[in-house]
Amino acid sequence: MVNEVQQFDVVVIGGGPGGYAAALYGAAAGLNVAIVERDKVGGTCLHRGCVPAKEFLETAHVHRTVEHSSDFGINATGVSVDFAVSQARKNEIVERLYKGLSGLLKGRKVTIFAGTGRLEKDLSVSVLDGADAGVVAKGADVILAAGSVPRTLPGFDVDGKIVVTSDEFLDLNVLPERATVIGGGAIGCEFASLLSDMGSQVTILEFLPSILAGCDTEVASVVQRSFKKRGIEIRVGAKITGHTPKKGSTTIAVEGEESVVADMVVMSVGRRPRTEGLLAEGTGVVINERGFVVADGYQRTAAPHVFAVGDVVADAPQLAHVGFAEAIVAIKTILGEPVVPVDFDRVPWAIYSNPEVAFCGLTEAAAKEKGYDVVVKKDPFGGNSRAQIIGDTEGVVKIIAEKRADGTGGQILGVHMAGPWVTEQLGAGYFAVNWEATAEEAAALIQPHPSLSETFGETLLALAGRGLHVG
Amino acid sequence: MGCTLADVTLPSLGESVTEGIITQWFKKVGDVVARDEPLFEVSTDKVDSEMPSPAAGVLVEILAGEGDTVKTGARVAVIDEKADPGTIAPAPSESSPAPAPPPVASAATAPALSRPLDESPNGVVVSPVVRRILNDGGVEAAAVQGTGPGGAITRRDAERAVAPGPSEEVVVSLSNGRRRMGQHMSVSSQSTPHGFVAVEVDGAIFGKLETLGRVTRDGEPISDEMVVSLAAVRALAEFEFLNATYSGDEFVLHRTVNLGVVRAIADDGMLVPVVHAAAGLTLRALARRINELDGRLSSRQLTTDDLMGGTFTVAGAPSEHVLWATPIIIQPEVAILSMGAVRLVPVVNVSGGSPSIEVGRRLVLGLSFDHRVCEPVGAANYLERVAELLAGMDLESER
Repeated sequence: MVNEVQQFDVVVIGGGPGGYAAALYGAAAGLNVAIVERDKVGGTCLHRGCVPAKEFLETAHVHRTVEHSSDFGINATGVSVDFAVSQARKNEIVERLYKGLSGLLKGRKVTIFAGTGRLEKDLSVSVLDGADAGVVAKGADVILAAGSVPRTLPGFDVDGKIVVTSDEFLDLNVLPERATVIGGGAIGCEFASLLSDMGSQVTILEFLPSILAGCDTEVASVVQRSFKKRGIEIRVGAKITGHTPKKGSTTIAVEGEESVVADMVVMSVGRRPRTEGLLAEGTGVVINERGFVVADGYQRTAAPHVFAVGDVVADAPQLAHVGFAEAIVAIKTILGEPVVPVDFDRVPWAIYSNPEVAFCGLTEAAAKEKGYDVVVKKDPFGGNSRAQIIGDTEGVVKIIAEKRADGTGGQILGVHMAGPWVTEQLGAGYFAVNWEATAEEAAALIQPHPSLSETFGETLLALAGRGLHVG
Repeated sequence: MGCTLADVTLPSLGESVTEGIITQWFKKVGDVVARDEPLFEVSTDKVDSEMPSPAAGVLVEILAGEGDTVKTGARVAVIDEKADPGTIAPAPSESSPAPAPPPVASAATAPALSRPLDESPNGVVVSPVVRRILNDGGVEAAAVQGTGPGGAITRRDAERAVAPGPSEEVVVSLSNGRRRMGQHMSVSSQSTPHGFVAVEVDGAIFGKLETLGRVTRDGEPISDEMVVSLAAVRALAEFEFLNATYSGDEFVLHRTVNLGVVRAIADDGMLVPVVHAAAGLTLRALARRINELDGRLSSRQLTTDDLMGGTFTVAGAPSEHVLWATPIIIQPEVAILSMGAVRLVPVVNVSGGSPSIEVGRRLVLGLSFDHRVCEPVGAANYLERVAELLAGMDLESER
């Protein structure tokens, strides 16, 4: 193949959420866009991350519902789990979404090059391997959206059988009897929750003093209590020194503590940016000491006309929806349109474990650390009529507001939720935090009755000085 | 590469000053500096000064960090006069406070941005709450510079815009200048019993100044304060006990007048640069000398010597409607003259037959004096003499 240079308005390296959002949004504005993707468009989120994981979590939810159906007078007998069916269903959903996305990109005339892209110093992108190896695509602007890959710990080589990361876990047909999840962050808690709900014996090993360390402590403790009640063993402050695999199982050594035997180790110790080999010499793009691409609020890297979005970006949350938002900021900046940068301190977070967690803005501890005098109100879902109807009353809504002189809540700084469907309920809290509403302003708005969202409304009323049910 | 290194030393900061504190480096290791370009700031108990670079080249070493106290004459940095800016590897010494940044950058310092974040547009409203606050306060969003991402107006920005001022009590530390001013003023007001008299005097001379033009024949601007200062200096010839210093038990009458002029520094206290040997100057010469001092003041090039040796001080009107001010004596002097603004007022003319009302110019001259060495009557007599000299000044030849 001849190394002919093809010219585009924007060349995107990586077709995950950040990359494909940039392509769709740019193409919608009339830009001629190319994506260089080494695997399939949709990226980690669609193929090896959020979407498949949530399908399995929903399987676990159905399992729970059926197990408790006799509470409603629905008697189901002979309930069994065929995880391979769930795996096939997940694959169908992913395939359907993949086809939909591919069709959408094609419809907007986005060119897709198959292979690994590398940015050269003249704003051209070389395709190094794959079906389109040798192609050089030059952009007036280039967007780096190469994404991230799971990290593992030294001594834990991923073999896909005993030691797995999310990449391998999501392709399993059979779940292990005894699973140890290393890392009790969002991803680890989702895996622990679904494994437990599907009948596995689960241990979480967390190095930090608590699981879900980034969450408000009270919300994290709701999950911790629920996990313990369901028999999940949680060991925090655990320093893992290695493991000794035997046939079909392994023994994980924990410094100064009893070791753990497991049939499978699920590594969820974070994700590292995929920036090795991404840049040729002399591009001017700055990579920080942890391998992330440094970008400003407009997603501009240190090199003119080179942008970065998604998981490769330094000091930004690794969330698909943040990648979408960054992609829009990058394209608008390229177009010269006015745009407000993503406020990373106020993005929505969602953890789809059982119970679910969702939050936005500052935790109580973070608000105090920033010097705010705060007032905090919380309302458990126990008193919520809809929660009792659906038979899921575990959880709490907690709101943190700036304290006014009269002691009532002023500007809402953070909204934190744990419990049924809170990932779907967070929207109202997200608006309140980002629109910088006071408790009073937000409390004046009505929540439907009966609904789970009333718990949020109740908490706001209490924060504004006088609650209906909450003091 | 040949040795082309030039030492940067802390220059003499004035006769009585032996050391200074380096408060700020304007350049970092690896930066190109031009000769006479401001290189660092040094603070003494008198003044903060910017120090120009003695050589052109690349700053290769900083030997005294911000906050370090340095003796005059000591080496504080090294400049390579032949260096290629690109090839300098930062070589911070132990005392160097800020090693050149490693080749990793934080988002805030990412270079080569076509539109720096601080050039965010005004008036970015992302919250309906903010829009309502601005509407209720009658403030246009376009007039508000937001502090949120991309210049977005936050709730706090909006609240400040509709009701300016700090929204809460904040503890701030005083600037160096205010701290120095505060020390001097406290000592002076505690150690010296201040007396004060004020007289209202005719300001017709300032009308003549308007007519003739507020410049000397050399083109030097002339202020009202310079005209009053000239009269004040000349009057001291007959009131030698006011051109004096008094410290401890020594009351010293000075032969010449070293005239201090009070200068406020925005949010940083005040300084009193001194026109040395001011007795015998014409208005033209005095104006030139004061303008020179003001030039050095605004370029932060005043030396300690410029601030030393005063024997008498004049404080000009702080604003155009000030009636009078009661200044605190600059130690170890014994008197300070303050002037109010020159005002157009109705005056009663009794010179020709029946009294009539005319438009005249008036101003108030005040004198704070050390009550240990002067009585109110002496102060009043001095001010009357200043008024006479003002009224009789021959502006045409003086300028």
